[in-house]
Amino acid sequence: MRFVVRRLGFFLVTLWAAVTLNFLIPRLMPGNAAIAMMSRYKGHVNPQAMHALEIAFGVHNHQSLVSSYFTYLGNIARGHFGVSLTFFPDTVAHQVLQALPWTLALVGITTILAFLLGTLIGLVSGWRRGGALDGVLPPLFVITSAFPYFWLALLAIWLFSLKLGWFPESGGYEVTTTVGWNWTFVSDAFTHSILPALTIIVTAIGGWILTMRNNMITVLTEDYVRMARAKGLKPWRIMWTYAGRNAILPNLVGFAMSLGFVVGGAILVEFVFNYPGVGWMFLQSVENQDYALMQALFLMITVTVLLAILAADVATAILDPRTRERG
Amino acid sequence: MTLPSVADSVEPVGATVGSGPPEEATRRGAGADVFRAVAHNRKALVGLGLLLFFGVLAVFPGQIAPDDPRAKIYPRGLGPSVHHLFGTTAYGEDVFSQLVFGTRQSVLIALAVGGLATVIAVIVGVSAGYLGGKTDGVLSLITDVILVIPIFPLIIVIAAYERNSGFFTLVIVLGALGWSYGARQLRSQTLSLRRRDFLEAAVVRGERKRYVIVHEILPTMTSLILASFLGAALYAVLFAAGLQFIGLGDPNSQSWGTMLYWAENNEALGAGMAYWAIMPGVCVALLGAAFALLNYAFDEISSPALRLRKLERAGVDAERATAVLAVSPDPKNILEVRGLSVAYASEHGPVVAVDDVSFDLRRGEFLGIVGESACGKSTLVYAIARLLGAPLAGEITDGQVLFKGRDMVTLSDKQLRHIRWRDYSVVMQSAMNALNPVLTVAAQMRDACEAHSTMNKRQIEERSREVLRLVSIDPVHLHSYPHQLSGGMRQRAMIAMALLFTPELIIMDEPTSALDVVGQRSLMVQIKELQEQLGFAVVFVTHDMSLVRHFSDRLLVMYAAQVAELGRTAQLFRKPLHPYTDGLLEAFPSIHGPKEHLLGIPGSPPDLLRPPAGCRFAPRCPHVFARCTAERPRLLEVDGELVRCFLHDQPVVPVVEAKEGVA
Repeated sequence: MRFVVRRLGFFLVTLWAAVTLNFLIPRLMPGNAAIAMMSRYKGHVNPQAMHALEIAFGVHNHQSLVSSYFTYLGNIARGHFGVSLTFFPDTVAHQVLQALPWTLALVGITTILAFLLGTLIGLVSGWRRGGALDGVLPPLFVITSAFPYFWLALLAIWLFSLKLGWFPESGGYEVTTTVGWNWTFVSDAFTHSILPALTIIVTAIGGWILTMRNNMITVLTEDYVRMARAKGLKPWRIMWTYAGRNAILPNLVGFAMSLGFVVGGAILVEFVFNYPGVGWMFLQSVENQDYALMQALFLMITVTVLLAILAADVATAILDPRTRERG
Repeated sequence: MTLPSVADSVEPVGATVGSGPPEEATRRGAGADVFRAVAHNRKALVGLGLLLFFGVLAVFPGQIAPDDPRAKIYPRGLGPSVHHLFGTTAYGEDVFSQLVFGTRQSVLIALAVGGLATVIAVIVGVSAGYLGGKTDGVLSLITDVILVIPIFPLIIVIAAYERNSGFFTLVIVLGALGWSYGARQLRSQTLSLRRRDFLEAAVVRGERKRYVIVHEILPTMTSLILASFLGAALYAVLFAAGLQFIGLGDPNSQSWGTMLYWAENNEALGAGMAYWAIMPGVCVALLGAAFALLNYAFDEISSPALRLRKLERAGVDAERATAVLAVSPDPKNILEVRGLSVAYASEHGPVVAVDDVSFDLRRGEFLGIVGESACGKSTLVYAIARLLGAPLAGEITDGQVLFKGRDMVTLSDKQLRHIRWRDYSVVMQSAMNALNPVLTVAAQMRDACEAHSTMNKRQIEERSREVLRLVSIDPVHLHSYPHQLSGGMRQRAMIAMALLFTPELIIMDEPTSALDVVGQRSLMVQIKELQEQLGFAVVFVTHDMSLVRHFSDRLLVMYAAQVAELGRTAQLFRKPLHPYTDGLLEAFPSIHGPKEHLLGIPGSPPDLLRPPAGCRFAPRCPHVFARCTAERPRLLEVDGELVRCFLHDQPVVPVVEAKEGVA
């Protein structure tokens, strides 16, 4: 129980840190970017938009830094992220919620897929160490894991869309289709997601393969694996329930820890593919200097990552009886 | 001091896997070892080669590039040709020259960010791990928070306010955010080092904290620090290119990321200037791959478990002529071990950890195998059980193990599987490590039952309860996980598991050494009772002779991979023939007897890579004379016992056939 409380505490601290960074970064920048931005927009946008900016930055000329910080925290806590400049007068919150499902579907599924696939390959190549699979896949994916996501995305578009014409080159769906739960739309969205999904999987999988393989090799030296052999269990039973089951535990922690990294790459994939998700919108807001939207999206991404880590925690607790009782 | 690294490789302890050996000797030789390891690692060589290539480009761009990268003097969008290796840009610049000139920034960013992040990681990680307490709490929290905050989006947020950020901003931001992963690893390494002897020794000597950190901790973490640097460098190259690509860098800078930005803005891929967009990415990928490969390679070099070593069989076989006795086994014996040898591969050649060991075991007999650590006793019994494999990654190089008349050495894995646990089972030193931590005791009994019988679920449950009762554990604990049981109970549960099929032979590797003296005693009594009740034979490994005194029928004393003495327990205690046995007896106090001065044996066992020319015990022997250092003693029969010592070599009766090169 204490473990759960401590974990939740950690999430709250992280969330608080992200919000505070959001608040502080514009103010810490040389020349106070927030004030500079306000004066640049003054007179060019209508007063409501100005007010939106004020909320985004917590800037009220009559307030001290500390009190504007608390006003800002209060607004965030109530979900008041202000109004988007790009999509004025639409609220930031509404915009974010529109982009979110796309990202969850693309980045969420592909990240989990890459993790599962990478873990599986790592498990088998660690088990059959020095075998054919182990000789080829881990070194190959060590190299692909060093590829910039966006560059691989560019190449994929060039080869599979422009040259071969197999997949659409950008977007999340054909603009002519009606968005909704109908077959045309769903299959269309699926076709659009294949290339970005493959890009993310190919670059993200290398890390999981490597860590799982190394965990596996370490676990294989454990006494309980020798014991399983002594018991005369079938090899695949030893591989799964004795070696694999234990080797995956540190990999789950690793999964949680490197999510922040993977999501960063996925943002660029969305950008290159013009995929209507959080990452694309995030970079659009940067381009349009729509800071309210940008800050809200950054928080959104942080929250999503934290939720994924929470899921990894739950998975660890299910797979490892020791964590269930810790503390 | 003998080489500890070799002694380690004979009976390595699980805990040393994955961390550098901290002993003095290995630490001093670390530099040369790392160099040699790198030279033999293909991944490391490829990585270093790539790094060297880009290093040259970064230092001498002017000498290598044919053109000024900014000179817009050529026709626009040319394809590749002799004059323009990768064509020209949409602005009429030479792509190849831009690539060459762009190298410097990427390399510099990688080095600067890698350096900055590593310095922060070392300071934070080592302080947290070493100082502990509240400092550790705060530093770890900060590390974890920075680790899970999505860094790239955060960098974009920062860059959005500080547009066209130059080199220094980039380095500082990337460095300030990229240290957390390394810090986490360094902290846990420091934590594990803190408990090691050499550090405690330094603290006891009264060294200052800073001295301990700089002189004792940091040198042992070289590979981890290097890994932290390489990881941060890789991430810096990728993130910097990403930032420049989306237009948040300085658009006038000479870099691969900026090239990609302009290429993408001009739709280079669709407009026939593919190389403009592809080559900068190739360069980023190659530089990144160089760091990733080096990281992978150092991971292998620093953790021995990840390195695959092949035993040079020829070297071992040439040393001793094969001579397996072709005598048919005695049916009264459950086990006959004949001329068994096991060797490990090491960096300096094969190490023979079990050297020509022979003994018989009667049905229902209790045989104790005793000797100091690293004398080969565990290797011997795991070789008999055909359970060698990392970390005891030795290979049987010679000999026979006749179990119920069948030679175990020649059986295939599949054939072995059928007799394992049904006919012979194994009890290990620590049930904490030998029981699977994620399965209940019931599940671990069930899978053994399912593997060897057709019992149904109810029967399996019934049998599991039965064996638990045999070792006096309340069956309510059947569905507990190993960590929920006490140490003594775990150990008993493992013995219960070994009894599931009432096998004819149980091999026990120090099954009581994880317990306190009282627990040891009661467990020994119980094992003996079970043995008398069920009639199985026992091979019992221990370093504590007094433990088996009243339980074993015969004792086999091992020294430096060989049999030193083999005889009936009572006689061996009464009148030890080998000076080593004598020393072992004096090293342990008697529980009941009068208080005596403990003599023990000075010195340590020999390096098995280069065993002494004569008797292996000669350097430590109090009775040593000229012949001992000149000649190798054979196993002799004295009063029905076997002993390997020249002190008893008057009536020469060699029992084991003398072999070429041994005598």
